[in-house]
Amino acid sequence: MKGKKLLSILLASAMLTGALAGCGGSDAPAAPEGQQKEEQTDTAKEEAPAQEETSSDDAQEKAPAASDKELLSLEVYDVAANYQGVQTGWFDKVIKDRFNLELNIIAPQVAGDAVFQTRASTGNLGDILILEKEDFADCVSAGLVKDISADIGNYSNLMTYKEQIDVFNNGLPGNDAGITWGIPTQMTNTSPTTYSQEEIYSSPLLRWDLYKELGYPEIADLDGLLDVLEQMMKAHPTNETGDPAYPFSLWADWDGGDGMLGIANVVQLTTWYGEKIKGSAILKPDNTFIPLTDKAGTYYKLLKFLNNAQRRGLVDPDSGTQDWNAACAKMSAGQVYLMWYSWQTGFWNSQERLKNGNAFSFVPVADQSYYTDSDTYYGTARVFAVGSQVDDEKYARIMEFLDWYAGPEGLTFQHCGIEDFTYTVGDDGKFTQINDNALMDNLPVPEEWGGAGYQDGNNAINQWLVDAISTNPNTGEPYSVRYWTSYKEATMTEMKKEWQELYSADNPVEYMTKNNILLVSPNVSVTLPSDSNDISVIRNQCNDTICDYSWRMIFAKDDAEFDSMWDEMSAQMDGFGFQDLYNFDVERYQIEVDAKLEASK
Amino acid sequence: MKQFFQNKRKLRGFREFLYILPFLALVAVFSYYPLYGWVYAFFDYKPPFPLSMDQFVGFKWFKSMVDTPVKTIQLLKVLRNTFAMSGLSLLFSWFPMIFAVFLNEIKCVPFKKFVQTVTTLPNFISWVLVYSIAYCLLNSTGVVNSVMMSLGLIDSPQLFLQSSEHVWLKMWVWLTWKNAGWSAIMYIAAITGIDDELNEAARVDGASRMQIIWHITIPSILPTYFVLVMLSLANFLSNGMEQYFVFANAFNKESIEVLDLYVYNLAMGSGGYSLSTAISILKSVVSVLLLCCTNGFSKLVRGEGFI
Repeated sequence: MKGKKLLSILLASAMLTGALAGCGGSDAPAAPEGQQKEEQTDTAKEEAPAQEETSSDDAQEKAPAASDKELLSLEVYDVAANYQGVQTGWFDKVIKDRFNLELNIIAPQVAGDAVFQTRASTGNLGDILILEKEDFADCVSAGLVKDISADIGNYSNLMTYKEQIDVFNNGLPGNDAGITWGIPTQMTNTSPTTYSQEEIYSSPLLRWDLYKELGYPEIADLDGLLDVLEQMMKAHPTNETGDPAYPFSLWADWDGGDGMLGIANVVQLTTWYGEKIKGSAILKPDNTFIPLTDKAGTYYKLLKFLNNAQRRGLVDPDSGTQDWNAACAKMSAGQVYLMWYSWQTGFWNSQERLKNGNAFSFVPVADQSYYTDSDTYYGTARVFAVGSQVDDEKYARIMEFLDWYAGPEGLTFQHCGIEDFTYTVGDDGKFTQINDNALMDNLPVPEEWGGAGYQDGNNAINQWLVDAISTNPNTGEPYSVRYWTSYKEATMTEMKKEWQELYSADNPVEYMTKNNILLVSPNVSVTLPSDSNDISVIRNQCNDTICDYSWRMIFAKDDAEFDSMWDEMSAQMDGFGFQDLYNFDVERYQIEVDAKLEASK
Repeated sequence: MKQFFQNKRKLRGFREFLYILPFLALVAVFSYYPLYGWVYAFFDYKPPFPLSMDQFVGFKWFKSMVDTPVKTIQLLKVLRNTFAMSGLSLLFSWFPMIFAVFLNEIKCVPFKKFVQTVTTLPNFISWVLVYSIAYCLLNSTGVVNSVMMSLGLIDSPQLFLQSSEHVWLKMWVWLTWKNAGWSAIMYIAAITGIDDELNEAARVDGASRMQIIWHITIPSILPTYFVLVMLSLANFLSNGMEQYFVFANAFNKESIEVLDLYVYNLAMGSGGYSLSTAISILKSVVSVLLLCCTNGFSKLVRGEGFI
């Protein structure tokens, strides 16, 4: 009796707490995997799903061969994963049927960076390694990576990318012998200077219906952009359900990522003026560097832009304290009027909204010229490798798996999903998307594919050897759903036609190319030196300083306060050794710039 | 050997030593062995490379903490925050005791149990959840702002979490909300241990409730209080980091960054393992000094120490 009473009191209090917290609470959709990593091209995000280009009979033929072998569990040390544990669901079934393998993912993003240190000290990082390039070079010299030169030639899918693999390995510091240690990620079968996407990674994206309502005003510069946004906000101070809406809703938990100092919401925007942040330096369009703290640079300019927006009341007051999940919930609820990542629109632009014309779309700002990295022909900043401690049997099965992972069948599963669940194959062999909300709404997967939710069973490695923009030899179209003929037909909406008419171009990239405002930086394969301990401490302290000050500057009351904070920040960063850091970064990224100049010749 | 086993006293001594052996082993493994990690402070350690003598740098990291004025100021700021917030908890450390005393005076048992449960419960909520509760209550469209706006007390939402004012006090309020009920348990136990005869005698002598509290209850639980205060003094510098980590943002960081959080930010941000080890060594040294001081003080005032 007494126990029951106590229990009921406990439950009641828990409910009370829950109810209180529920007020104004947010059930945010989880961030699509890995989207904070800028290297990953936009295509992969919302539609990550894929399928199998061979028919399912084929799959069943292969299955018996796999079951001859014992079930083998592989440890995958994976810096890209944001799930830790054993792969489950449909992707698990796919690889069990084919290889009888089980993937045990070890994710430093979940477990913390210390897991790298502890595992490295035991001499065994994992069976399959997915590492950042700089760490990779260190791991090779520390003997944690297996030499795969002798065997990689036997795997035909991997050999399709022989050029890229060789260029990467020959570029590793101290690898004069030309040993093959690793395989780059997200390689493409296009070319290092092509840009195949229709949208670039970061550009101003506005709600088309609101823009139309204002009569498509031309936007001259950033102030003009704020004017337009202010008018939108005046006309629509809330979303349809009556929650307050703001043009900007920012979040603080991605700051300092992607090898760029500064807050995530500003560093991306610098590409609107052709400048790209490289560590503590800004790379100008003429291939020279200036320090991040230079007032003539775009970091200052764009931070000022956000400050102006805030002073006009256009920034969500919770920006400084909310995290990505909270901000993302607002995006999905239509409480945000400006987006700037191409994948970000995935939280709003459904097929229905594209039809209704209230989706987000690129709107040019006259004084801007955009920077983008070209197709990742030679791969992105990560590398696949095999751990040095694997035995011969395991090694053979890993290589077999990786070969499949880079082949059309594996890629179709990774990028397109499951046949007859996320896409169907037409008579002409081309794909048509179905269940386009499979990932977003975690739709239940048919029993024959292992059941459970689609997102739950999605590939937890979260990193691809071959990018989705690559052409699928079985369909002649890219793996990415956005570039399927069927998808283009389905999304040729009124809104898109209006856009095309207004800007006399098919898509944003064509518009930018026509007007000569797109700077495509060629993809090169270089491995840059990693930070020494001293530099890493300076980088860390400078980054903390610049991020803290940046947030306070966004909320500064006037120009004078803004500037005095900026000066204070520069002085403090100098005290932490910013100059040394800048010199180090310039020297380091000059290697990359030289390679890019060479490539674009 | 034979003699040893025949000597009953020695045999007994050996057996009793075996009793405590597991505990000695535990202490050795979990408290002394980790001290080996201190060597990292004297090396230029960078994973994945194992330690080797050519990375030995001596006191470089200790010196680098204070080699520019900016760094010194930052370290001092962090120490100031640590001392301020620990000091505040120390200053109000009597709060759970008084709370327990008054709780004990409630005669309606169901109500007493209810209060006790409700105040103890927050102790079991993690800081991350506490922050999400705080965020939901205090954000610009949260309950507090909505209520205040509809009552006409304010005309635009207040950014409570973003404010840099009274941070120490606010942190103390959250900490007390979370811990008071739990800390009171110890005192409630001590109060239960007070001999009833004392109370009865006092009541016969005509003492009022306040007089009983003042002259009997509080003096009886004061020793418990002193032990707890001294233990918390030893932890003066380690006032935890979870709370400050979840509540920290760019706006209040100046006043919220405590030593543990600073070490965490340094080490986890981008692997400044050696520097953060050096800082934690200093922290341990200062903690030991503080403990010795308190012990000496205790000997001076109460005539007995606790170590």
